[in-house]
Amino acid sequence: MWQRETFKKIKQIPREEHVLPGTALCAGCGGLEALRLAAKVLGDHVVYVNAAGCFTMLAAYPYSSFKGSWLYTTMGSAPAGAQGIRDALDVLIAKGRVPKDEDVKVIVLGGDGSTYDMALSSTSGAMNRKLDFYYICYDNEAYGNTGMQLSPATPFAARTATSPCSLQHPGATQEKKDIFEIWRAHRPPYIATVAPRYPLDLAEKFARAAAYTGPKMFLALSACPTGWGYDPGATPEVAKLAVETGLWPLKEAVNGVVTHTYIPKRKPVEAYLQLQGRFRHLFEPTVHTEAIRHIQGQVDAYWRQAIQEQA
Amino acid sequence: MVAVRFHGRGGQGAKTASRILGTAAFVSGYVAQDSPIYGAERRGAPVAAFTRFGRDPIRERGAIAHPDVLVVADASLLDDAAAHVLDGVTGQTVLFVNSSLSADRLRTHLTLPEHVTTRDVTGVALQQLGAREAISALLGAVAARVVGLEWEPVRSAIDRELRDLGLAEPVLERNLTAARLCYDSVEPARLPQGAVQAVGAASLHHPAYEPPTKGTARIAAAGNSVLRETGGWRTFRPVLVADRCNGCWLCFAYCPDGVISMNREDRPVVDYAHCKGCQICVHECPTHALIAEREQEGGVAWTAK
Amino acid sequence: MDSQMMTGNLAAAWGARLADVDYIPAFPITPQTEIVETLATWCERGELAARFVSMDSEHSMMTAAGAAEVTGARVFTATSSQGLLHAFEVLYSISGWRAPLVLVNVSRALAAPITLESDHNDVLAARDAGFLQIHAETCQEVLDSILMAYRIAEDERVMLPVIVNLDGFTLSFTREPVTVPDPDSVRRFLPPFRPFHLGFTASSPHALGVAVIGGTTYAYFRHQVHLASRNALEVHRETAESFHALFGRRYDLVEGYRLDDAEDVLVMTNAGASTGKAAVDAARARGKRVGLLRLRVIRPWPADAIRQALRGRRAVAVLDQNLAPGQGGILYQEVAACLYHETARPRALCSFVGGLGGQQLSDGAFQAVFEQTAEAGISGTGRGPVLLYSAEEHREMTQLQMVAAGSVRREM
Repeated sequence: MWQRETFKKIKQIPREEHVLPGTALCAGCGGLEALRLAAKVLGDHVVYVNAAGCFTMLAAYPYSSFKGSWLYTTMGSAPAGAQGIRDALDVLIAKGRVPKDEDVKVIVLGGDGSTYDMALSSTSGAMNRKLDFYYICYDNEAYGNTGMQLSPATPFAARTATSPCSLQHPGATQEKKDIFEIWRAHRPPYIATVAPRYPLDLAEKFARAAAYTGPKMFLALSACPTGWGYDPGATPEVAKLAVETGLWPLKEAVNGVVTHTYIPKRKPVEAYLQLQGRFRHLFEPTVHTEAIRHIQGQVDAYWRQAIQEQA
Repeated sequence: MVAVRFHGRGGQGAKTASRILGTAAFVSGYVAQDSPIYGAERRGAPVAAFTRFGRDPIRERGAIAHPDVLVVADASLLDDAAAHVLDGVTGQTVLFVNSSLSADRLRTHLTLPEHVTTRDVTGVALQQLGAREAISALLGAVAARVVGLEWEPVRSAIDRELRDLGLAEPVLERNLTAARLCYDSVEPARLPQGAVQAVGAASLHHPAYEPPTKGTARIAAAGNSVLRETGGWRTFRPVLVADRCNGCWLCFAYCPDGVISMNREDRPVVDYAHCKGCQICVHECPTHALIAEREQEGGVAWTAK
Repeated sequence: MDSQMMTGNLAAAWGARLADVDYIPAFPITPQTEIVETLATWCERGELAARFVSMDSEHSMMTAAGAAEVTGARVFTATSSQGLLHAFEVLYSISGWRAPLVLVNVSRALAAPITLESDHNDVLAARDAGFLQIHAETCQEVLDSILMAYRIAEDERVMLPVIVNLDGFTLSFTREPVTVPDPDSVRRFLPPFRPFHLGFTASSPHALGVAVIGGTTYAYFRHQVHLASRNALEVHRETAESFHALFGRRYDLVEGYRLDDAEDVLVMTNAGASTGKAAVDAARARGKRVGLLRLRVIRPWPADAIRQALRGRRAVAVLDQNLAPGQGGILYQEVAACLYHETARPRALCSFVGGLGGQQLSDGAFQAVFEQTAEAGISGTGRGPVLLYSAEEHREMTQLQMVAAGSVRREM
């Protein structure tokens, strides 16, 4: 049974803020919610290596929201940027040009568009080279910064700007790419999925990851009021239902061994889908029973196997 | 040519309002042009859009520096230096502000031109649409009335533009009703047409080389985003009813922007200069100790829930 | 100082080794691969105190290179052709970050059709990226230019990355005598890299490469890259003097060959200029007063030096080993632009395009160039772009087309 050791109570969440307000991100951003909580564990001695995405706006001249450092790279190569920084720090420390206590953690920030598509090869390379870094994917299941277009993280039947009629659109009948398993095939020491609605689970995972040298990979559910079509105040509720319906499993993989950190009772998926504009066409004007049943079937199949493996 | 500049916050519909006006002018037989400032705008961040129309071909493009009519979708923008709402405004500019306050009340802390009209468009939206955002049809209708367009082309423009956005029939109908109310609530303005401002040749500066500490897009002032206030994004503010609070920290834990801190008594303190008004704290508070109050210039006006 | 036989690629590796670089991210591509193979071996043996890392693409390689440089490491990397273009967006980022690394490009023509041999469309595609560009003619110059490149790049008045270019095959795989400078003199010439504006450390956080909103900010920063590049003209002069004093070899922005009394001048770059010089000698032997101007530094564009070398000539021919389809030769345009305001400008300016995809230029081709240039000078009418393509080459091409079309069948 998975148990939290560092973060048992909500009041253990550090008070200090490391990602400061005044950002241009949308009100109610689920990605920022995840980053803020992660940063409370990661601290200020960090350099964030950013891939093009919504978070690009977190450092827009002349303002930066970070108490730590930041380098904007490209959409396809932030992990390679992390490689360059980590290697350079190691070399400079070894040569005595940077004192050891000046070292910083290297953390990639990438949206799902970057993570699942364009940067997959550079992420694979970094993992293969056993790069000692953190990777945080803020997954809002579409190309969000450009206005919500279909990405490989978009779930089945979700409407996006480029899959407008999603039940007929060939793109949107894709299933969400299983990036967790793609990562796991590389055998990094630590992988976790998180959802900011479960702040202790999230903080605990970042604390546990710190024990490992090598790639520490995080997939953060980033509920998106702007793109998913719900009121900004409902971000935690949407995230909660994603977890409670079983659509977003909370889990970790330590050296490849998967543990589910929370076993939901699994509400029907409709509870989650109905909250969001991007799934409204499944319910109005007529209910697409087949599509909903398909989604439910996928979830059920996932958990049947997960519970079997865990047992 | 008439030049109309719209200011709003991302998600309010300033861009669509400019399109509604553009289409309405086009349908009315004018040469028309509309465009938004396009970029990294987020829901809540200041945005602008532009509509030009006239009898002759339009030679100008891009941002409108000297608007004949200024439509402000959110009065908080007037106080937001980053929004540049009053740039290029002269004594002749006709100004419309979505606000429940009177023009005179706004003038108590702002320097505004002579012709200022205010209407509580958000109030109409809340009443007719049950939503506070996306008031594009309402603003478009107001703008069209101010520049003297007839209702029928305006109605047809709203229908076209909102249908393009995929709005369902009942929502469309409600928007048309609300837009008509707004259209009827204002009068056509006398527009300062044909006034061409004399402009001298620009005095060109030749930037000198600076070392990369200054000459590169580099920020050494870590965490200085706090200098940029985002409190103006709010339509509603979270307000603490202290005796209901059980000090559970959930509001602090869930706030994406980190604008809630817990004081010594474990009570939340909201940084209103930066709170964007997402209302996550209001939604998640287990004891309903945080409530949403509608934001008004000059103070809290009324409680929504 | 003993010289030894080495290829251009080995000379490039020696440049990196003597510059005592800290970090080498690498990705293989013909005809560059030998450079990174050599460096990998030296790092493995401890002869070079650098970290060598094999990256997953040139795009990643350039990102890692730039990121390491802005962390405060002295970085070297190398690529070619398709690789340079695969990394293209990163080049603009690196100059914008003001990361003074050195990238060796081994010129190779671009697909399609895919090929391995040299021309300059790859490196010249990067001419607006904010990198300085030094184009080398000999293996010695490759090595020397890399040392000069680090000193110029890391100068506070510049702080820009540099591409040192050498031609694939004709330099990369060609051995000739190269003198390897002694490391102590190199240390005197090239101070240690201690950038004041770079480095990600716990105590001095900063954000780099951040977004800007609006043209006012963007224009300012990008223009600073331009000013920094222009500063490199003076910094190159100082560096060249210092290099000459220490090592006895002199490199200017441009190199004149038999220009003194030349009526007509041929303008070339890179290793092809050697062949051009031989052609000048041959023409001189026939009594023609011709000379050659080799452009060595392409960015910043050495307009004054070019004007000075070309003013008062009867005719000038620019031989571009590149092709801008729909326009012609790339360097021709730039030479023409900088001569426009020269009162004593040549009577005629001609554009020739040759040597694409490693095409060998024959003595006859050069003779044709000189003849046409002389005619142009006499008539006062420039010509071109003229493709240097002989009738014989065309016959050969026609044969190949017939085979490709199936018109040639094997006898059964």
